[in-house]
Amino acid sequence: MLNFIAKRFVMLILTLVVVSVLAFLIPYVGDGDPVRIILRSRMADEVTDPAMIAALTRELGLDRPLSEQYLGWLWRVLQGDFGLSFTTRTPVDVMFLHALGVSLLLALGALAVAFLLAIPLGTAAAVKRGRAFDHATSFFTQALVAIPEYWIAPILILVFAIYLGVLPSAGWHDWSSMILPVIVLSLRPLAYFTQVARASMIDVLNAPYMMAARARGLGVSASLLAHGLRNAMLPIMTLFSLWLTSLLGGSIVVEAIFAAPGMGWLLYDAVLNNDVPLIQGSIVVIVALAVIINTLTDIVYVMLNPAVKLMS
Amino acid sequence: MNAQQDDEALLRISGLRVGFGSPKHRLTVLDGLDLSLRKREILALVGESGSGKSMTALAAMRLLPQGAAVTAGEIRLDGQDLIALDDKAMNKVRGARIAMLYQQPKIMLDPTATVGSQVAEAMRLRWNLSRAEARPKVIGLLRDVGIPEPELRAKSYSYQLSGGMAQRVMIAAALSAEPEVLIADEPTTALDVTVQAQILRLLRKKRDEHGLAILLITHDLAIVSSIADRVAVMYAGRVVEQGPAREILNAPSHPYTQALLRSSLMQAKEDGRLYAIPGHVAASHSMTCGCRFQPRCTLAGQLGIEAQCLSDEPRLETVSAAHESRCWGKGREGRVHAV
Repeated sequence: MLNFIAKRFVMLILTLVVVSVLAFLIPYVGDGDPVRIILRSRMADEVTDPAMIAALTRELGLDRPLSEQYLGWLWRVLQGDFGLSFTTRTPVDVMFLHALGVSLLLALGALAVAFLLAIPLGTAAAVKRGRAFDHATSFFTQALVAIPEYWIAPILILVFAIYLGVLPSAGWHDWSSMILPVIVLSLRPLAYFTQVARASMIDVLNAPYMMAARARGLGVSASLLAHGLRNAMLPIMTLFSLWLTSLLGGSIVVEAIFAAPGMGWLLYDAVLNNDVPLIQGSIVVIVALAVIINTLTDIVYVMLNPAVKLMS
Repeated sequence: MNAQQDDEALLRISGLRVGFGSPKHRLTVLDGLDLSLRKREILALVGESGSGKSMTALAAMRLLPQGAAVTAGEIRLDGQDLIALDDKAMNKVRGARIAMLYQQPKIMLDPTATVGSQVAEAMRLRWNLSRAEARPKVIGLLRDVGIPEPELRAKSYSYQLSGGMAQRVMIAAALSAEPEVLIADEPTTALDVTVQAQILRLLRKKRDEHGLAILLITHDLAIVSSIADRVAVMYAGRVVEQGPAREILNAPSHPYTQALLRSSLMQAKEDGRLYAIPGHVAASHSMTCGCRFQPRCTLAGQLGIEAQCLSDEPRLETVSAAHESRCWGKGREGRVHAV
């Protein structure tokens, strides 16, 4: 087990090194020259004075060789210093830590709702396979996947904020402003989790070891609890971690509709303004989190199903 | 000795019918099965694939696959009809009174649970034991079935076990709550020959020590000769012959049993090739009202009694003391040997 974790950890570090190089290079791929963009935003006009451009280029360190810039940037990042935003001149880490907090709360809330509803729904559909409840569940989940967020979100706002007046329509104030975006974000993962929970429960219900457990005197629900859930949980866990990493990057549509200051907004603005330090820092942090979540998932997976270790 | 009259029977199956599908389109797999298993007895249930051996086991456990149902008959354990029990009462019978062994031990173990926790399950249910209370008993059981370093093995998982070890674990799990009856469905088929012998010795030891009654389902007549007290031969959902193992193996009365023995590895033909019974088990819906083995039987032709074999089904009739056979040719053959 320790050996496995050590191997995983080495992979994690290697991945992060590669990602840091890519993240550093990405802003240089686009054609917008950050110096001109910054000057335009500061002066509210196109600046053509070569002296001003040269001064700002030097100030930002953009005149030095790329490799030197990268190593300097990496050294500062490792110390937690992601630099100042080109546009707002505030520390980048403060900006995205705040946005990441918002996105993380929304993501975890949405996935918790989806998970807690999907497990009983999927299990019940698997147990009642082929009967009315199963068909209803399957219709319901297919409908959820098909509903666009930009359609359901305004409807929820209309009902709960405007018509009933029980929840805020937009903004980021307290826990009540989380409810509607969390619901909207949870719909799609709820649908997928339920479908996967149903499929893996059906596999598990037909598994020989479940029959052996019944033959030892366990009832249907007792054998599900003792042997079914843990086995069925494996594919759902993988899906959960995939969704968590994808929701961490934020959702521009949902954040825009509910005016939630999450990663979606931040990255959108950063890319539009070609705010190099902000883009680089956000990519590194989001990818680092994704890689760490994946590694943790792998480790938990092996803890739940020790047979997997042999295959990897 | 007829199943209905056998007072010593611990597990008695009588007139059991099991079918798949709806009443309109029913496929009958067990049709009027009679079988009785006595305390401390090893009864071998033999027959080729499709004869209904495994269905008999699953019916006795009340764990028939979806779509299959008992449509008639009784399964009595110590006089109590298991068919009449509700699910909750049946849960108390499984594991605690009847336990089961399977052909593929490794896939019968939960890959995510330790060996020890699965061995503990039945005893914890029966006597309401905590994990800690069950632990020493589990280790004792594992040691008893011949697992080295049982303390260590209790913590291992199925993927760490060989097939033979896994079957030993399954035996420990099956005997965990000290059941009276063990139904073993081809328990050694997936194991290599030396391990087979060890597992069979272990089963016999358990019978000798605890008076366990074992219903051993097999198609391997070598196993039958090495361990069984009695043999019941199944064909197309019914018992066609039953009696003491030695008698059935040495002097089979029913043409099917004779053919089965001839096709086993123990008896090659004169040219060194193996004998095969012509044809295959007919599907139940295409069966005539006569003897089910008739289409494959050579004795009927030799005796010239096909008309009777086609129109009426013979009953199980006494051959000698405890030996019964279901054949119209019985007594007429004057030792005519088929083929």
